[in-house]
Amino acid sequence: MLRWPELQESFRIATSSLRVNLLRSILTTAGVVVGVVLVVLMGWTINGLDAVWEQTISIIGKDMMYIDKWNWAGGGNWRKMEARSNITLDQALQLQQRMESAEEIIPLIRKWGGSVSLGNTSIRCSVTGTTAAYGNTAAGTAAAGRFFNDVEEQSADNVVVIGYNVNKNLFPTSSAVGQYIKIAGIPYRVVGVIEKRGFLFMDFVDNEVFIPLHAFRGAYGFVGRSFSVGIKTGSERLLDIVRDEATGHMRSIRNVSPLDESDFSINEMKAFDQQAKNIRVGIWVVGMGLTILAFIVGSIGIMNIMYVSVTERTKEIGVRKAIGARRSSILLQFLIESALLCVTGAVIAFPIAQVLVGSARFLAVSVFELDWISVVSPLIPLDLLGIAVGVSILVGLLAGLLPAIKASALDPVEALRAE
Amino acid sequence: MSQPIIEIANLVKRYEMGDEEVFALQGVTLTIGRNEYVALMGPSGSGKSTLMNMLGCLDTPTSGSYLFTGENVSDMDDDDLAEIRNREIGFVFQTFNLLPRATALQNVELPLVYSGMAREQRMQRATEALTRVGLADRMDHKPNELSGGQRQRVAIARALVTSPSIILADEPTGNLDSKTGQDIMRLFGELWRGGNTVILVTHEEDIARHARRIIRLRDGRIESDEVNPHAPLA
Repeated sequence: MLRWPELQESFRIATSSLRVNLLRSILTTAGVVVGVVLVVLMGWTINGLDAVWEQTISIIGKDMMYIDKWNWAGGGNWRKMEARSNITLDQALQLQQRMESAEEIIPLIRKWGGSVSLGNTSIRCSVTGTTAAYGNTAAGTAAAGRFFNDVEEQSADNVVVIGYNVNKNLFPTSSAVGQYIKIAGIPYRVVGVIEKRGFLFMDFVDNEVFIPLHAFRGAYGFVGRSFSVGIKTGSERLLDIVRDEATGHMRSIRNVSPLDESDFSINEMKAFDQQAKNIRVGIWVVGMGLTILAFIVGSIGIMNIMYVSVTERTKEIGVRKAIGARRSSILLQFLIESALLCVTGAVIAFPIAQVLVGSARFLAVSVFELDWISVVSPLIPLDLLGIAVGVSILVGLLAGLLPAIKASALDPVEALRAE
Repeated sequence: MSQPIIEIANLVKRYEMGDEEVFALQGVTLTIGRNEYVALMGPSGSGKSTLMNMLGCLDTPTSGSYLFTGENVSDMDDDDLAEIRNREIGFVFQTFNLLPRATALQNVELPLVYSGMAREQRMQRATEALTRVGLADRMDHKPNELSGGQRQRVAIARALVTSPSIILADEPTGNLDSKTGQDIMRLFGELWRGGNTVILVTHEEDIARHARRIIRLRDGRIESDEVNPHAPLA
């Protein structure tokens, strides 16, 4: 039976005993402080990773799928994929005519390892030939200027839309729109700059320039290249329907017999989910390992100091028992003290963790110019603080259990005799 | 004789010290009634402290029976004993045993905390008890801000605050100078005249003389149990 006045008394004693031994209390909580800092850092990192990942897939387009010769995720038999026949523009256009459920069908052809130059500056990037419809996808959204239009596409004008990194490297100070850059020795007029899309290991997507399909044919030719067909479903909900329809049409266009497996891959952003998950699990495992270690060390410290506290206050325990404290009262008193000790550790840990998180983010963004980190919050999320407090209370209760049991089981006669 | 509070029959307490068995009490039979003023005397090793621990329900006997206001205490568990101590017994110790970090008022409140009384009521009762021992103006002082005599008064107030059946004082003047000791003994006298039952444990004849009845122990047995001829008149 728990009585409210006893609970209040226990809190009063616990706080006063922590205050009296302030330095000792703070030193004792060092392990818990480290544990809580680690929990918070780990949680913040995973949260940050999620934010970065969310940003990445939402900018590349959650409602997009790409029909390719290759499987992005790298699964499947590499040799078999190598042996697949290239996807041709004709097949892409046939699909465009047949598809009913999708919003846009966009043929894309890409030269990896191309280069663009401005004056004497030349940078490597991939060059993609596509249609004006690409401008209607999340990935084709222009931050400055615009995507090239139907007229420019149809007449194969020498116009180019450049990726974020290309812009940053070629036009660090001035505006790119209206300027001319050279691709494969031919000058192209820049009509737009794509907004930043790439984060983390997806940085390559910003090293890309887009030109009209037929301008690409003029520069590099279509021979020996496999097209990729971008499909914009218009909504995440339609992914399944669109995928089914596209698979059916594409099999028929490429004459795949009903018994054979498809000789093309349908790629979605989901392909990268596994990679993100692996990183998440990696951080979690390492973080949890360190955290558990810190809490074990911390709880040994707490247990030790609680034993000291019980011994120091044996007489007090005797007096309390003599005037009517039951076992549970004494148990409660020491458990609360131990839990409070750990919460003190958590409270000390929060500003430390916040400073670490804030400086890490500041360093990354301002000093190392890792722009993609700017989507990560500079503040520790509140739910993490809640979890950390909860965990530290639990650690405190566990670490304090044995000393508290010892205290509650003291014989009042013996305890009163102590000095 | 008035209604008995304590009825002890054939109380035996045996300790094991290493291989040896020590009989601290070897069959003590004793009855103490309401509003008695008893001194328990004896040299060290006489079993006086052990008997006091039994009377105070701090310890249970090896054999024999102990009825406290009719309730059998001999086979109660720890928590039941704690409740009896809380409700029925007020302890006063030689070394005062106040909690150093609590004020006089908080020290006196403590038994009421363990009986689960609400704060308002606790404050009121504790204030009354401190007033009764003459410390109304020292309630917010901590023990180290009080003199020895004042500390013992706080301890007496703490013993009184639950209106217990007995007040059990173990060498209550042992750490006080003789003048202050006399003051404290006067206070016990007043409490007794006010209707309380007081049991003193002491080895000092001067102190024991304040009581109405003196019980002497030797070697774990009652040596004598007589009315004190020197007792001041009630």
